[in-house]
Amino acid sequence: MLMFDVLLALGVVGTAVFALFGKDRFVSVAGFMVMGLLIALSWLRLGAPDVALAEAAIGAGVTGALFLRSARRLGPLEVRRLSGLHHAAAIGFAAIFSGVLFAVLSQSNLSEGLTPMVADRLWDSGVSNPVTAVLLNFRAWDTLLEIAVLFAALALVVLLPRRPVWPTPLGDLFLPFARIVAPLSVVIAGHLLWQGASAPGGAFQAGAVLSGGLLVLVMGRVFIPQAMRGNALVAIAAGGLVGFCLAALAAEILGGAFLAYPDGADKAWIVAIEAALTLSIAATLVLLFTGLPRRAHS
Amino acid sequence: MTATLIYMAAGAVLAGLSLYRLATTGDLFARIVGLNVLSVALGAILLAAARGPDGTDPVPQAFVLTGIVVLVAVTAALLALAETLAGAGKGSRND
Repeated sequence: MLMFDVLLALGVVGTAVFALFGKDRFVSVAGFMVMGLLIALSWLRLGAPDVALAEAAIGAGVTGALFLRSARRLGPLEVRRLSGLHHAAAIGFAAIFSGVLFAVLSQSNLSEGLTPMVADRLWDSGVSNPVTAVLLNFRAWDTLLEIAVLFAALALVVLLPRRPVWPTPLGDLFLPFARIVAPLSVVIAGHLLWQGASAPGGAFQAGAVLSGGLLVLVMGRVFIPQAMRGNALVAIAAGGLVGFCLAALAAEILGGAFLAYPDGADKAWIVAIEAALTLSIAATLVLLFTGLPRRAHS
Repeated sequence: MTATLIYMAAGAVLAGLSLYRLATTGDLFARIVGLNVLSVALGAILLAAARGPDGTDPVPQAFVLTGIVVLVAVTAALLALAETLAGAGKGSRND
């Protein structure tokens, strides 16, 4: 298996070179997406399937779609002529940074970490997937703020003026493709959401898959967010943050502590919050891609 | 253990490459791609460091997961700003 690890690591570095130094924006985006999938595979090898799923769906998938959209809109690559000294300084700085990073972290002993602590209290969290337990119970406060960050970014994107999403209609094969992919994304999202309690998965992965299905409909012009639909999507996107805040306050009232779910009912609370988050994340990711269409010229 | 070190080394190389790119390119899009690669590199290093004898520490896993989600939101915001800037540079508003 060591051979596999070495090849995978080389593949990650090779595709990253394409992503970073591609002469054409599309080469860059293709390199980035393949790198995302390969790094997800390597995280699977490192025993982090939840993160691997999120990276494959969000890091490679949704980010790749965003890059492709912008690569069309931005002009040709801007090349900057730099002196040899500038290059040498940049190489020296980068080499020192990554060398020190590797030297320090490969020597440090983080391996014990918080694993035993999480394992000790896992029974109390209502779920058996430790990552979901950390995200939605032990450190739910972090996740609440993360959703707030998502919503802030969405507000910025919605406020900027935008061009139409996808100028050219797709070909004849689109509709048969969408008929399979769109319903499948709903089923997979539901499955990921439900199994997130006990196995790899959860609201973020499910939301990303669902947004993928929605984006297929948007790009095929089956679902063009008109002004009203756009507003509905914004409302759903806000629903995650509002629902999470209400749940936090309700837990405060019922249990006497912020985000401390009532005893015995943890799982129901977590799944309910995750369901709201899944819909909200899907709507947010779609809107981040399309922007909010204006009502004016319809 | 060695597999962990291999992935950590790959993460460190990725971080170095993306920092070099960030320091030398003037192109906004290339910078945003560089920022994304840097974030993937840091995630890889964190996850490799979190690997222990009894599994991977779930707390750094949650960090990296949160990072991925925040990054996609930041990337979308940066790209929207870059497009607006590109439109403004040409002397015409994009509509």
